[in-house]
Amino acid sequence: MAVTDDMSPREGAGLLRIRLGRVRSSLKRYWPYYLMIAPALIWLAMFLAWPMLQGILISFQKFGLMGSQGYVGFDNYLEALQDRTVIQATINTVLITIGITISGTLLPIIPAIALAEITPRPMRSLLQSAIYAPHLLGWVIIIGIWVNVLSPIGLVNSILNGLGLIDGPIPFFSSPHWGQPLVIGLTTWKDLGFHALIYYAALMTLNTELIEAAAMDGANGLQRIRDVVIPHLMPAIRVVLLITVLGASHTFDSAFLMLNGRTAETVRTLAIFTYERGILRFDLGVASAAGVILLIFSLLLGLGVRMLPGFKRQGL
Amino acid sequence: MLHSRSIRIGSWVLLIALSLTMIVPLINVIATSLTTKTGSLQPGVILWPDPVSVEGYYTLMNRMRIWLPFMNTMYVTIVGTAAHVLLCCVAGYALSREDLPGRNWIVGGILLTLAIPTQTLLVPLFIVFRDLGLLNTLLSLIIVDLVTAFSIVLMKTYFEQVPREIVESAQLDGAGHFRLFWNFYLPLSLPGVITITVYEMVKKYNLFIHPLLFISDPDKTTLQIALQSVVGGESSTSTNDFIAPNVMMAGIVVAIVPLLVFFAFFQRYLMSGVSAGGVKG
Repeated sequence: MAVTDDMSPREGAGLLRIRLGRVRSSLKRYWPYYLMIAPALIWLAMFLAWPMLQGILISFQKFGLMGSQGYVGFDNYLEALQDRTVIQATINTVLITIGITISGTLLPIIPAIALAEITPRPMRSLLQSAIYAPHLLGWVIIIGIWVNVLSPIGLVNSILNGLGLIDGPIPFFSSPHWGQPLVIGLTTWKDLGFHALIYYAALMTLNTELIEAAAMDGANGLQRIRDVVIPHLMPAIRVVLLITVLGASHTFDSAFLMLNGRTAETVRTLAIFTYERGILRFDLGVASAAGVILLIFSLLLGLGVRMLPGFKRQGL
Repeated sequence: MLHSRSIRIGSWVLLIALSLTMIVPLINVIATSLTTKTGSLQPGVILWPDPVSVEGYYTLMNRMRIWLPFMNTMYVTIVGTAAHVLLCCVAGYALSREDLPGRNWIVGGILLTLAIPTQTLLVPLFIVFRDLGLLNTLLSLIIVDLVTAFSIVLMKTYFEQVPREIVESAQLDGAGHFRLFWNFYLPLSLPGVITITVYEMVKKYNLFIHPLLFISDPDKTTLQIALQSVVGGESSTSTNDFIAPNVMMAGIVVAIVPLLVFFAFFQRYLMSGVSAGGVKG
């Protein structure tokens, strides 16, 4: 701003007039452009910014059958933080986030390297497509497929039984112990091909001379991966880490579809809690408070990951 | 690439095993969907239907009337995607104009919205859509995701690549915004337009949370929600009404086939979006 303390009011007003004039003339020249951006901005304001503001406002109000009964300060937050279900849901959310982040970021590196290794090109793209396909499927379909495969009389239990590895069928979808591993495992499986593709694209820019040089120095295959390939992949690993951690922190669909009487305790995430409490039981205040807590958790997580070494340099 | 025989062999084994985790369950699903009700209830893994029967599909079409939610989903997918692509392209076009005052602020603001996940806003979204009278309308599902930062920024990047000389000479010939946009910007950025189109179509087709929140009228329900009640066996109240696995799996097949056909045609664009998305996360 050019208006400083030692400027007389008249000079200030003059500058302001010049500024306003400039705004007016640029509006005159550019108004069609602003008109073209307007619908998108109005949408973002109405259906993203406004709900977010609403959520924060609701979280400070008490709701009864007749609607809002006024502001109650942090009561809803205190109630939420003392609620056993919220505490359990927070623990579940954190554990699921950690699990998905680690396996979803690291495991796809292996198929990406494998894809770069195999030679007939058509075969490569065929396998690539097969691995990528689950990424397109919605969670209802994914769960539908795996409920069938993992059912007590399904494929996996039949194989395990045939090999004599288990005494009775494993109740994958009706056991509290299998809830979180399944959410983490199926999410990793669904996104494996997608993340592998990001790594694969990065591998295509790897200078093969570096690998040959490492081979000359007597490095074996695994050492070449560790010393040449992984360092080259670091920028891509950061991108995948960021996508994965942000997606994982607000897990809803996968866990919601696996939720039943027996698994609820271990797979209920904070996002699911806000749905159950707010939409099904209509306890808007506490549900919104939990939503705001989840929003802050996910914003902080995003910021925290960006503080890790290398992220800033990479412009993430 | 790594010049190691053992790694090469391991790569083949791993990739074939991984693709089998997709292919074998799929065969299992298709085979189960083509058996009879009693056949699908037998223990043992079905990889080939015997006897072959379309009983499951018949039940799905006639008793569960799956075509109704299917048509709803198609309507939302097509109309919603068309509106999405139009709005995002137009906004991207305006924002590709480098000398537009305030451009960086607007783009920065749009990018900020990427940090707000829908899943944290379930309650207020419900309230806002209720207050606007949009509950139980398919319009609500069209409005969802009408504009995304991803699509706007992707189109802006594509439009910025359009050579200035072409634009300027067209302007000298008296071309207005509409002609510039339609005759030059869109055709020259076609890969970008197709990318955001196919992405949005898949997203709309798979919408789950929003119809769960907004739609309770069975006539307005979508494929994913209808499928959830089939797979979850919600309507299996009496033993007579029990939904056998062949019906569930027929539902999965009905939902999966359009996606896989779509994937076969637009694979290149769906998978190329990866590098574009990877740039900005």
